[in-house]
Amino acid sequence: MPPEAASFMGGGPDLSLLQLAVYAVLGLLLVIFILTLMGIGTLPIFFTALLGLQLGLGAAQNLPDPIGKWSKVGGLVFRNMRRNLLRTALVYVALFVLTGMLTLIYTFVTSLVKLTADKEGQQLVILTEKHSIPSQMPPGHERRLRELLRELDPADRPADLDANIMTWSFIGGSTEKGKPTPQNSLFFFALSPEAITSGMMAEQGLNPEDLGSTNWEELLRVVEVVKEDKRHVVIGEDRLKIMNKRVGDTITVYSTNYPGVSFECIIVGAFPAGGRMGGAAAMRYDYLLSLLDEYEKANGKKHPNADRCLNLVWVRMPSKAAYEKLAGKVNNNTAFTPAAKLETFSAIVGAFTEGLKDILWGMKYIVMPAIVCIMCLVVGITITIGVRERWKEMAVMKVLGFGPGQVMSTVVAEAVLIGLFGGMLATWSMWGGVALVSGWAKGAGGGAAFFASLKVPVEVLWMGPALGLFIGLVGSALPSWSARKVKVSEVFSQVA
Amino acid sequence: MAIVEVTDLEKTFNADSPDPVRVLEDLNLEVEEGEFVALMGPSGSGKTTLLNLIAGLDSPTRGTIRVGDQVISGMSESELAKWRTRNVGFVFQFYNLLPVLTAAENVELPLLLLPMTGAERKQRVRNALEIVGLGDRMSHRPGKLSGGQCQRVGIARAIVTDPTIVVCDEPTGALDAKSADNALNLLEQLRADLGKTIIMVTHDPHAAERAQRIVHLEKGRIVPGDERLRLASTRR
Ligand SMILES: Nc1ncnc2c1ncn2[C@@H]1O[C@H](COP(=O)(O)OP(=O)(O)O)[C@@H](O)[C@H]1O
Ligand SMILES: [Mg+2]
Repeated sequence: MPPEAASFMGGGPDLSLLQLAVYAVLGLLLVIFILTLMGIGTLPIFFTALLGLQLGLGAAQNLPDPIGKWSKVGGLVFRNMRRNLLRTALVYVALFVLTGMLTLIYTFVTSLVKLTADKEGQQLVILTEKHSIPSQMPPGHERRLRELLRELDPADRPADLDANIMTWSFIGGSTEKGKPTPQNSLFFFALSPEAITSGMMAEQGLNPEDLGSTNWEELLRVVEVVKEDKRHVVIGEDRLKIMNKRVGDTITVYSTNYPGVSFECIIVGAFPAGGRMGGAAAMRYDYLLSLLDEYEKANGKKHPNADRCLNLVWVRMPSKAAYEKLAGKVNNNTAFTPAAKLETFSAIVGAFTEGLKDILWGMKYIVMPAIVCIMCLVVGITITIGVRERWKEMAVMKVLGFGPGQVMSTVVAEAVLIGLFGGMLATWSMWGGVALVSGWAKGAGGGAAFFASLKVPVEVLWMGPALGLFIGLVGSALPSWSARKVKVSEVFSQVA
Repeated sequence: MAIVEVTDLEKTFNADSPDPVRVLEDLNLEVEEGEFVALMGPSGSGKTTLLNLIAGLDSPTRGTIRVGDQVISGMSESELAKWRTRNVGFVFQFYNLLPVLTAAENVELPLLLLPMTGAERKQRVRNALEIVGLGDRMSHRPGKLSGGQCQRVGIARAIVTDPTIVVCDEPTGALDAKSADNALNLLEQLRADLGKTIIMVTHDPHAAERAQRIVHLEKGRIVPGDERLRLASTRR
């Protein structure tokens, strides 16, 4: 849905800051809970992998030296990890949960950044009224924009203009005149049916990938039906359910933002539930225009909103340079009265997400580093405890002639192993889990459309293990350094 | 020629601090090859400090220490570590076995640092454990062994590298009378049958009795004249 639409819908549910905080905390707890379950669930994999590595090392002990020799020392690492199974398991789960949270935040941050980043290729640009929010323009603005587009070099404009331009008008209304309630109200986008077939509404979830091919085919069929009669409308399944209506019903919608105008609607199709259009509805733009004409004929004067019935125009431009040329023609052009402005979609989303900027910054530079620090601490504390426990043993190894580096690496290896597996299994299972859910949702279509669009960036697959490695190294740095410095003579000195 | 020769030894802890602790001074000592020497003295007299220095766990403040044909005073820490592996076998009061390793693996540990085939290592471990009478406990962890058995594993670990000297700091300190006796028998046997050179710190006169020679230490010096030679023990 275009961001501006929100201002027509009364801004959505009114949440107080306190409520928001409560929801955020509850959400966080839920996430931690689920991640903890996943961490515990993957423990068998973790221990099986450790066992596998240990068995591999065990087999390697029979190989010629130095492999055979050092795999015996390496075997010590695994035995030490198994010595306190509960502690090893707890650290693993802690690292799993923290890595999982990092993955979620990373996914959130990258998808927002991607949304606001200007794509080099095609540009979705938006014409709105310059000085007023919400934007309300006369229908002529669309024709003027088309004229300006035709003035551009062929390379700077879409080859097929009709397939790359769409208008948006927002109509609120209810089925009971003057008595709108949440149950009888609905919100229409008035647009041309071609906007769906040309893919201009792909971002709204109306595309074969998000809908699944069956639903997409059905939508294309419905669009053909809509073209048959101006009064044909499509309503989201979620909205239909709330209104207790079904496809085939006829309803009269008394507009709230076009007083005195009522729409005779025949519901000929439904947008899938759960999708971005599930709660909305769409009608033909020319139906709105014709009703406004009829109003003028019947009342002898123009409808007060007749010159304010075009809210947005979207155009897909071939490049950023082309957009800039068009913007140059539109901005400060007196042919547009009231004045209009042309912006890229990402700029508008950027403005929309401006409020999120602080949160985004905080996530990137405070929350994420803080989580990494906590992970280092968790590893550091655990390894320190382990080193304290084995202080004497490490001293004995040094007495026997093992070098400080060799003693130290048994400590580092332990931390790195836990970190590596924690990071790997957390990111891999989250990526895999989300991919699985999304794959299932694509097959299921309908209400699952939201899940179908979920995706964890693929780069977490190597970032997770790399982070684990890093955490293991950093977390064990201090304890292993102290392990290095175990004084051998202290072993004897402790004698009574 | 003596196998251990300590000349004009001085050890001062915290030498550069305002209150240095001089633990050993003007100390001279010789140990012959194949000799079993007991170091006795009151607590705090510097026995452990002297043993640490001879075993290459610490470096003297002054003086020289020669073991075999090598002067170890003046070696760097890493040189000492390498030297220890080949030349010193350690027996500790509290055994100091790694609990996660089996008896055989504990004994094998120092061998991992020496160039040796796996088969050779296995053979040596078996030999050492058979010498201490634990040939049938190879795959037991320390937790499954008695204190006396642990100490015998400790002794096996000390001799498995065939070191120049075996050093023991209160080896019977944690053992009951019977186990202590067994351990001492074993040490005597090592000397008698295998010609090992053994230096043992103890404050137990009964344990010291089993050595060929007792060196008394008091306030960092060897008590002269009190040093006495004893006939090689014939007890087995
Ligand atoms: N690392 C050290 N730093 C300072 N003083 C030490 C250190 N090690 C031992 N000492 C001191 O040296 C003296 C002799 O210690 P030690 O050789 O352990 O005695 P013994 O083994 O005969 O009981 C003691 O007074 C002890 O406090
Ligand atoms: Mg002592």
